[in-house]
Amino acid sequence: MEPEKKRAIVLSLCAMVFVLLGARLAYLQLLSADELRGMSDKNSIKTITITPPRGLMYDRNGKVLVDNKPSYTVTITPSQFDTNDLSEMSSLLDIPPDRLKQALKEVKGTNRFNPTKIKRDVEFKIVAHIAENHDRLKGVDYQIDAIRFYPDGIIGSHAFGYASEISEKALKKQEGDYYKQGDVVGSTGLEKNYEKDLRGVKGYKFITVDVNGREIGPLNDGNSDIPPVNGQDLMLGMDKDLQLYAEKLMEGKEGALVALDPRNGQILCFVSKPDFDLSLFTGKTDPKVYASLIANPDKPMFNRVTQTRYPPGSTWKMMMSMAALDSGIITPTSTVNCPGAFVYGGRAYEDHGSYGNINVVRALEVSSNVFYYKMGLALGIDNFEKYCRMFGFGQKTGVDIPQEYSGLLPTRKYYDKVFGKDRWPNGVLVNLGIGQGELGVTPLQMAAYVAAISMNGLYCQPHFVSKIKNTVSNTFEDVKFEQRRIDMPLKYYEAVNKGMYLVVNGGGTAKSVKSSDYELCGKTGTAQNSTGKNHSWFVGYAPYGDPRIAICVLGEKEGYGATFAAPTAAKIMVKYLGGPGYDPDSQIKMVSEGVAD
Amino acid sequence: MDKSFFERIDLMLIFLSVGVLSCGLLAVFSATYTGGGDYFSRQLWFGVLGITLMMIISFIPPRFISRASYVLYALSLVLLVLVLIFGKRIAGSKSWFAVGSFGIQPSEFAKITTILALANYMTSTEEGFRNLNRPLEFFKAALFVLVPVLLIMQQPDMGTSLVFLSMILPIFFWAELSPFVLMVIISPIAVVIGALMGTTFFIVALIAVGLILLMFKRNMIVIGIILLVNVVVGISADSLYSKLQPYQQRRIQAVFDPALDPLGSGYNVIQSKVAIGSGGLFGKGFLQGTQTQLKFIPEQWTDFIFCMIGEEFGFIGSITVLLLFLLLISRIVSNGSISKNRFLSIACIGIASVIFCHTVINVGMTIGLLPVIGIPLPLMSYGISSLLSFFVMIGIAMNTYRFKNQY
Repeated sequence: MEPEKKRAIVLSLCAMVFVLLGARLAYLQLLSADELRGMSDKNSIKTITITPPRGLMYDRNGKVLVDNKPSYTVTITPSQFDTNDLSEMSSLLDIPPDRLKQALKEVKGTNRFNPTKIKRDVEFKIVAHIAENHDRLKGVDYQIDAIRFYPDGIIGSHAFGYASEISEKALKKQEGDYYKQGDVVGSTGLEKNYEKDLRGVKGYKFITVDVNGREIGPLNDGNSDIPPVNGQDLMLGMDKDLQLYAEKLMEGKEGALVALDPRNGQILCFVSKPDFDLSLFTGKTDPKVYASLIANPDKPMFNRVTQTRYPPGSTWKMMMSMAALDSGIITPTSTVNCPGAFVYGGRAYEDHGSYGNINVVRALEVSSNVFYYKMGLALGIDNFEKYCRMFGFGQKTGVDIPQEYSGLLPTRKYYDKVFGKDRWPNGVLVNLGIGQGELGVTPLQMAAYVAAISMNGLYCQPHFVSKIKNTVSNTFEDVKFEQRRIDMPLKYYEAVNKGMYLVVNGGGTAKSVKSSDYELCGKTGTAQNSTGKNHSWFVGYAPYGDPRIAICVLGEKEGYGATFAAPTAAKIMVKYLGGPGYDPDSQIKMVSEGVAD
Repeated sequence: MDKSFFERIDLMLIFLSVGVLSCGLLAVFSATYTGGGDYFSRQLWFGVLGITLMMIISFIPPRFISRASYVLYALSLVLLVLVLIFGKRIAGSKSWFAVGSFGIQPSEFAKITTILALANYMTSTEEGFRNLNRPLEFFKAALFVLVPVLLIMQQPDMGTSLVFLSMILPIFFWAELSPFVLMVIISPIAVVIGALMGTTFFIVALIAVGLILLMFKRNMIVIGIILLVNVVVGISADSLYSKLQPYQQRRIQAVFDPALDPLGSGYNVIQSKVAIGSGGLFGKGFLQGTQTQLKFIPEQWTDFIFCMIGEEFGFIGSITVLLLFLLLISRIVSNGSISKNRFLSIACIGIASVIFCHTVINVGMTIGLLPVIGIPLPLMSYGISSLLSFFVMIGIAMNTYRFKNQY
């Protein structure tokens, strides 16, 4: 067949099919246009988003820590809104007209046919005004949202964190398109870490409206609606009574207090002072308030439990003891001569006293410096790093809140960088032996470390959340966290634990906080502070032999460990072990000036 | 550079393809205007990339294309096997590779390579063509299409399989297959469609087929056998129908009666008809279509993009788009018919038939003439793989124009 003929056949077949399509289009768009246009006009659906309330947070006994309360949110549907009402709305809501205009413009995640959230947490009289003028103020409406409510005022600010209105930047950066303008998103602490559990899943209600925006009724009798899934509740290991007590003890101080259950790593109480009021972030957050919090020189937003890095001072001596025992420098019974000072590299390193030949248990009890100067030197930098890492230093504990630092663990690499390769003095090891110098640890690392020693080597990842409520089965399900064993002979742990026991119950630096009801163990420490009073440390656990609580207290500029940290920690421990109604103040007295360590 | 360098650029095809792309960009912009997504900018950038690709391909000497065709074909078969193993399942079909935030659809690539390999096979003899009326040659040639079709049916992607099958008839016709054999191939298709519509249609189809076959004045026994086969095929159509995916069955039912399932499979068809019809003669205006902007049609920027044209630009707009497509297809067919290079000539028919098939099935489905078969509208639907593959195809048609005088 000729190509021209074939072309003619193919093209005429083609054209016939296209004519068919064109005829159908003419039928739809010319003949049926009015009918279909009518269907289209009736056929408008308004989508009402239903944001479920965020999940609550409960303490270990089921008491509410973080709650919700209802609040009113004003919404405007841009396609229905009459711009003549702009100035009225602007003054009613106290939003400058240009900012209101901006809010009505489409941003990612809004639709001009659907209500856009304009202002959250408004007063009832504004809602009343809108309700009264509903017919006149077209497109203006309100909805009831749940916002955060903290039944006990300012507690656990750094642990719970806040959930606040999503920023425009975060809205653009999000993966997917779940969040819309005006939505709330977890920003810090547990609110951020468990955002996906807490927020639930939004639901949608579809309402048929005519072209003028008048609601005709629910689409498909509401059968097409997608119900929201409520946020999942968190159950924390925290003990609310203990938390409140700890908040009180730390009131007016700068520092950190964290206690955990050494058997599983659950955090029992968690205080960082100074703190801030989480409810400032629940509704509308005033940018000025936020700026002043950030600018505050006391840094109230700073999480001192997980973000400070101070040298641990003498609380470090258990670490050095374990390292010295396991690397074979000493045995639990071997003795080291400890005169009043140690001379190394032409420099004399001081001690509080002269102790003669003492073993590791005694060295811990009296907090001998010379003993640990020698241990630091004998251990060497590489072994030092190895053992520190085993006990979780130089790395994040992995606690389930986002703000955490790994501290500073000086290593060979670190000193090579600071001093030049192999050009640094061994004297640094003398200082590291007693927990001074470049070393920086967080209170949470210290709590986890002392817990691991109390458990003879069981290191549990510290964490807040123990259970998450499954909204389908309505039961709390366990959350798993890591546990590992720091494998060293039991007799080493026993020697160190014995030393910690004697610190309180023997003739040690914390004998002033000895309790007649519970056998407390621990170790005081003092971090040297070149700019003011020293920082007071205490790490410990109780009861001896059957640990149920491990603790770390840091009081900034409070002096020796025995002065502030030891009695505070002791009070927390006996309060927890004593349970409701127990009066820790009758057992433990605060000390005005503790002994040096 | 000689003057003819520019003269030999097929400006008509550039104009038509850029025209269709622009309509598509407008539509994607409108369909994704509320609710966001960077579909528009992605479509724009990949459109630019596609045009570049098209221009480059138009300059490649034809013998390179024909020589590479088997290798590319083999490669695309490998990809079709791999996608079954490693592919990402989207909407029930395993037809995508996830590459970063993009999805890549090897079946789009296979469309081009199948056309080229088939064209190369048909023309790679001493005489320059194979006689398809010989049964062995016929089946060998058909195998080039059937192998990828079998693989694509495993995904399963029936729409794309259909597009592959539909290229057989025009290409074989172009390669001088006798009209009688063509009729024999077409007859069971007509009978099956009749059978699906009901007994009366089945019988009418059978009679029509019988009458047409008689006109060829062949051996009565042969005609009898063919008719018998047709009866068997028609009857087994029902059992075949039952083997379709349930969602495909519902879609076929919904064509005949969308009201059967207004919120399920018929929903898209009803909403899309309402959208297009409510556009009237001039349309509701750009970004003013309530059906489009309120998202009555899910994922409208992909397979239902034509609704947006119908709703916002009305009858004028939709007829313009259809005309652009018709001109595009006829230009490609014309390039094929004037080319002295038989390889490219056959390739052009394959390309034209793929574009035709996509356009008719897609538009037919949005206006309620054909079942909802998810295949994109060429150069208009959002989709990177499909966009690029259509530009490559048009590039080959431009190439045909440039080298039309080379054997």
